[in-house]
Amino acid sequence: MRLHAALSLAACLAPVLAVFEDDAHHIDFHHALLGLPKHEATFFSKPYAASKASLLYTVSQNGTIGAVNPKDGALVWRSPLGPSSAAHLRFGEEQDVIIGGVGNRIVAFSASDGRIVWETNLKVDGSAVQDLEILEQEDGITNPEAKDAIILVDGAEQGVKRVDGKTGRVKWTLEETSGDIPFQISTSPTTIYYISLHSPLLGGGSKLRVSSLSPITGKKIDSYQLSSEAEIHTKDNILFAGANTATPLLAWTDKAHKVLKVNIIGTKGISTFNTPISEPVEKIVLHAPNRLNSLAHFLVEYQTATGHSAEVFHVDLKRNTISKAYSLPQLKGKGTFATSTANANVYFTRITTDEVTVVSSVSHGIIGRWTLKGSSALAGAYPVHAVSEVVVKDNSASAARSAVLFSNGQWALVRNSDIAWSRPEFLSTTTSAVWAELPEEETLAHELEVEGHQNVVAAYVHRVNRHIKDLEHFPAWLQNLPTRILGNLVGTTGDSTIDDIQHDTFGFHKLVVLATEGGHLAALDVGAKGKIVWSIDLHQFAPEASFSSPSLKAFRGFVEIKDPSLTSPLLINSTSGSQIVDRDLTSSSPVTLKDQKLITFDLVDGELKGFLGPEPSAEVAWTFTAPPGEKIASYTARPAKDPVASIGKVLGDRRVLYKYLNPNLVLVTALAESAHKVSIYLLDSASGQLLHTVAHYGVDTSRPIPSTFSENWFSYSFTIDASSSGAARGYQLVVSELYESPLPDDRGPLGASSNSSTVQPSEVRGEATKPHVLSQSYQIPEEISHMTVTQTRQGITSRELIVTLPASNSIVGIPRQVIDPRRPIGREPTTQEQSEGLGKYVPMILFDPKWHLNHVYEVIGIRGVITSESGVESTSLVFAYGSDLFGTRVAPSFAFDVLGKGFNKIQMTLTVAALFVGVLFVAPLVSYLFENITEEDILADKQLQVQRKQINTLWTT
Amino acid sequence: MSAVAQPPPPPQWVLDLNSPPVTKPKNPSIPDPPGYTPALTRKERAISSKQSTRKQPTSEETNTLKIKKAWELAIAPAKQLPMNAFGMYMTGNSLQIFSIFMVFTLFKTPVMAVLNLQKTFAPFENPETSGRLIPVKITYILCNMLMLALGIWKVNAMGLLPTTRSDWLAWEAERDWSERAIPREWL
Repeated sequence: MRLHAALSLAACLAPVLAVFEDDAHHIDFHHALLGLPKHEATFFSKPYAASKASLLYTVSQNGTIGAVNPKDGALVWRSPLGPSSAAHLRFGEEQDVIIGGVGNRIVAFSASDGRIVWETNLKVDGSAVQDLEILEQEDGITNPEAKDAIILVDGAEQGVKRVDGKTGRVKWTLEETSGDIPFQISTSPTTIYYISLHSPLLGGGSKLRVSSLSPITGKKIDSYQLSSEAEIHTKDNILFAGANTATPLLAWTDKAHKVLKVNIIGTKGISTFNTPISEPVEKIVLHAPNRLNSLAHFLVEYQTATGHSAEVFHVDLKRNTISKAYSLPQLKGKGTFATSTANANVYFTRITTDEVTVVSSVSHGIIGRWTLKGSSALAGAYPVHAVSEVVVKDNSASAARSAVLFSNGQWALVRNSDIAWSRPEFLSTTTSAVWAELPEEETLAHELEVEGHQNVVAAYVHRVNRHIKDLEHFPAWLQNLPTRILGNLVGTTGDSTIDDIQHDTFGFHKLVVLATEGGHLAALDVGAKGKIVWSIDLHQFAPEASFSSPSLKAFRGFVEIKDPSLTSPLLINSTSGSQIVDRDLTSSSPVTLKDQKLITFDLVDGELKGFLGPEPSAEVAWTFTAPPGEKIASYTARPAKDPVASIGKVLGDRRVLYKYLNPNLVLVTALAESAHKVSIYLLDSASGQLLHTVAHYGVDTSRPIPSTFSENWFSYSFTIDASSSGAARGYQLVVSELYESPLPDDRGPLGASSNSSTVQPSEVRGEATKPHVLSQSYQIPEEISHMTVTQTRQGITSRELIVTLPASNSIVGIPRQVIDPRRPIGREPTTQEQSEGLGKYVPMILFDPKWHLNHVYEVIGIRGVITSESGVESTSLVFAYGSDLFGTRVAPSFAFDVLGKGFNKIQMTLTVAALFVGVLFVAPLVSYLFENITEEDILADKQLQVQRKQINTLWTT
Repeated sequence: MSAVAQPPPPPQWVLDLNSPPVTKPKNPSIPDPPGYTPALTRKERAISSKQSTRKQPTSEETNTLKIKKAWELAIAPAKQLPMNAFGMYMTGNSLQIFSIFMVFTLFKTPVMAVLNLQKTFAPFENPETSGRLIPVKITYILCNMLMLALGIWKVNAMGLLPTTRSDWLAWEAERDWSERAIPREWL
């Protein structure tokens, strides 16, 4: 019995494949993205006090805290704390813990590896961390062990809290009840300053209220107001509220950016400076060092529409005055500044599109200057914000490195004059991705189509003509031959271009076009480790649009972008990224119709409606309304490209179960929230006829219910609600197969008729034409957020169900055999069933580690997975997008049509060559021997034989 | 070339062999060694030759004998049948090089035998026997057909005969649907 079980398990697992060790990291790629880094929470820091190298820490706009190695841009660790506009990250000096506050979570991470040291959540819902500071010194004494954090809470709960640096316990809380808007906190060695905006009841500007708190008790010691009502109307008017400097500063400006007011926190004096530039200033940024022991110097950057300039100010601590030291000249074009410190000295790095300069805060002399080398990734982009580190020797900067966010969303490290690395962080908000179809391929496909429709002779002539025309590429092909052969033997490491993609024999190089929330569009070559082939900002084609969730659709040679903010869809060439103005509408149908009537359907006001024709005004053919209490949540149709190799399933006894293959099937998911019920309806979308229905009770309707449809089977997954059903909370995966008839060798009521219509029925109609549905459900260990099916060229290769598991940040390919609804239940499979590859039904599917496509990668925030055929039948391309981008290729039935990596081409060539040489040597030798055999030899041989015969006869008689 | 005409003088042992020593009068007390047959004396030879001359059979007798022989030949394939069947059974139904070879011979032998029918029975053929040979030949063909049937049975057991629906599945086409429905968002 046990042996049987083991055998059936082995039979079940034998065809299961994993990512091979030598394929990992070669066939797949992973862009582990953080998101666009926030300026105030990005810094270089040593992960622990004794560390020699520093890491680059950041918190991104989508709430991910992470550390990047500044050497190569590789991600060291990251932790997505959830999307929140309020995200802060602070690092105490000489600490090995970094504290981040995102939303209502305050988390301390081990700085070197990202492990969570402690986590504290704000108790009141709706409150968020507004500011976070590390208490560097307490009464002038540095606490060497764990520095406490001071957090400012805004939202439903308002106040200041001190959090223990070791445990995350709240030491004290100062509740804000005055109705002021909490703005920021700043710490000095002796006191904590809490800055809030005091708005008068009668509107108008706000006053800045600065309260000093005791670090030990959190009691308010003193409070004063600064008269800023003339300038400050919103929080945006405040430029700076000085983080941890020896002299905390508070700076603000008026709406028109005409005047700059600076206050040294703790004093009541306000220094007023006028903007030095005559033209209107668009933005003022204040850059100040955030070290305790650094000089009290700061830089004010003025950005105008055409250029930028800066002024450096010095603070006299004894007299509490602020004076302008020098100004940096105005430069045309965009640029940014970054502050860095070395001991007490402060340096300012100015980064423009073509130059990096370093000045000391003391004098305006340039102590380091590098001309930036261009990079294709940063073409046409300007720096937005930067952080930098400068090495200064003998009053001249010997090296400078800056992590710069560029306007095209690339986060790059500028090391002296080089771009050391760049990370495409703008891709972290990808909302839509499609496989681009290249125009060249398309023309070939078109020609083949033409040949297919002609008669034999005409097709042949057409083909010969086509080949003659192809000859013009022959010289170029011949020229490339040596490099190609050499590359084949040695293994190429070439750069990928559009050209490569077009001349890719295996079809592994395919372009994926991505659209991001911010309106960026990029094309990635999936076969070249996700290299960005081109990227554009869509605002250049639609300046007035503010993109929120652009969606893409691929057509021949171009992609179409739709967005709520766009009045008409944008068309972008998929090979170059340029806009296409006129569009050939005739070639853009997603399906080819062969004398078929086109019916479209759509979800309109909670009802699924079918229309006679593609026009929006077309007549309604059918309407599907969910039963009362249920709401249609989504629908899944069979993919437009879904080739089926065999129309039946061959059983173990060589009989056939015929598949119910209807291209118009659509799976409708309807939810009844109050009843905790999910209903699945299978419709024929041409006639609107209901073919099959199933309902599941005790379902958590708030969780995703992904579904997919392929060939003659569909699957969906849902979460069991523990509270309503009494059963344990769990996740279920249901797989159903559709057959024309339950009997083998039977084509059902439609018989062998080669055409069929569901709208104009024949005499055999009604219940009988419904498919025979086989279903099995499985308990799965994790929730599935998205599912899709692999696609291959002909559909011969068995399929794999690709599911996204958000809980374990992974993507799993479940082999089709494992979830075959024909698995025998409650008994061992018979020999015939075993020969079909069916194992005994087990109610629980554990995701085999070998099924994980992402192996060591952690793919976070996946929104969707798209699959595509490759040039070879065995392989399907898989691309996952979302916060991370991940691409790989899968061969569900193994790569049977591609030579493996173990195949030694050199050895084979050498063997053939050696055999050839051997033949060359041996052939003359053999012919020489034959030539030298004379007649004499033959006769002598004969004579000998005669004698022997005579002797034999004598002997026997 | 001249050496060809004259063979070299035979060696001594050949001469000895050609002229064996004269048989000595046999001492009856000493038996011949086992396996030794003494050369016959002239008298004995004469006696034995006299005995071997028997009377020639008539043509009728020869024909009967020939038909008998022909029947034996005709039945021969049937005699091989059980042996072949056992062999086929033992090789199993899997597709292997041995079973394929055996099946091939199983098909080849009867076909070749039937093709060579006239040649096989030519020694027995004469104007008198030809009429009586017809049933013999039919039997021969039938026996070979039995062999062929065994081959077909084997091929069928191996699953090589296209007798089931699945063998013709590749020629069956998907239905054409006169309507095609697509979601609006695909347009």
